[in-house]
Amino acid sequence: MNERQKLMARLSAVQFAAWELHMYLDTHPCDTAAYETFRKHSAEAARLKNEYESKYGPLTITGTEDADWLCDPWPWDLERSCD
Amino acid sequence: MFSYEKKLQYPVNIKNPNPKLAQIIISQYGGPDGELGASLRYLSQRFAMPYPELKGLLTDVGTEELGHLEMIGAIVYQLTRNLSLEEIKKSGFDTYFVDHTTGVYPTAASGFPWSAASMQSKGDILADLHEDLAAEQKARVTYDNILRLVDDPDVRDPIKFLREREIVHYQRFGEGLRLATDRLDSKNFYAFNPSFDGKNYKPKIK
Repeated sequence: MNERQKLMARLSAVQFAAWELHMYLDTHPCDTAAYETFRKHSAEAARLKNEYESKYGPLTITGTEDADWLCDPWPWDLERSCD
Repeated sequence: MFSYEKKLQYPVNIKNPNPKLAQIIISQYGGPDGELGASLRYLSQRFAMPYPELKGLLTDVGTEELGHLEMIGAIVYQLTRNLSLEEIKKSGFDTYFVDHTTGVYPTAASGFPWSAASMQSKGDILADLHEDLAAEQKARVTYDNILRLVDDPDVRDPIKFLREREIVHYQRFGEGLRLATDRLDSKNFYAFNPSFDGKNYKPKIK
């Protein structure tokens, strides 16, 4: 696993934890402890996403608009080009 | 609205193409218990949900299913890279190839194209939630069957992740059903349809 893949794996893990808690909160909206854990993971996911995007290009188009958005890899690609 | 994030929910990195496996796994793209039907089922049913928790839950599960559809598409795409005509003929992938080349098309493994007849949006909260619980179990069984048929660890890993998600969604839908029935008359959950009659409707006592 290269550095980019490692950061992507870390981002995905934290995003997943936040997502799982978010969905749990749909059916447990009054669980304040779960909400705090959700907020913590959510903030960490945002931080990691920023780090990833500043190093390897945009994940969403809401950031800076440039040709990097089009660069491979797309999520289903195995190889990276445009480097 | 929806916005796109340019990453998979869980990574798919398949080293060895295998058209036979692609032909099996395509069923979770466009088969009767696949991810396309799952996402459309939940994202359609949510409009008739009278309670905020269920609007949120169906939106979130439906959205996650779109991410799963993308993962299955990625698995099929990676399993059908760089195929020779010999491999295509030998594996039995030729019957898919003739219609779709190596494009990803929503179909069941049997060749039956994706059909809205494999899902329902009934406009009744209890009927829809029971369908959703059954749908998650059926998808879980399909993933169990895929795991019986597949040895490649690169393929099994994301399939095991997707199988686990069916179980979590089943749990959440069960909680959603309980939240719904908690708001209804425990002596007769079916006295009226809160989706149609309104959540504050009071049925006439006979």
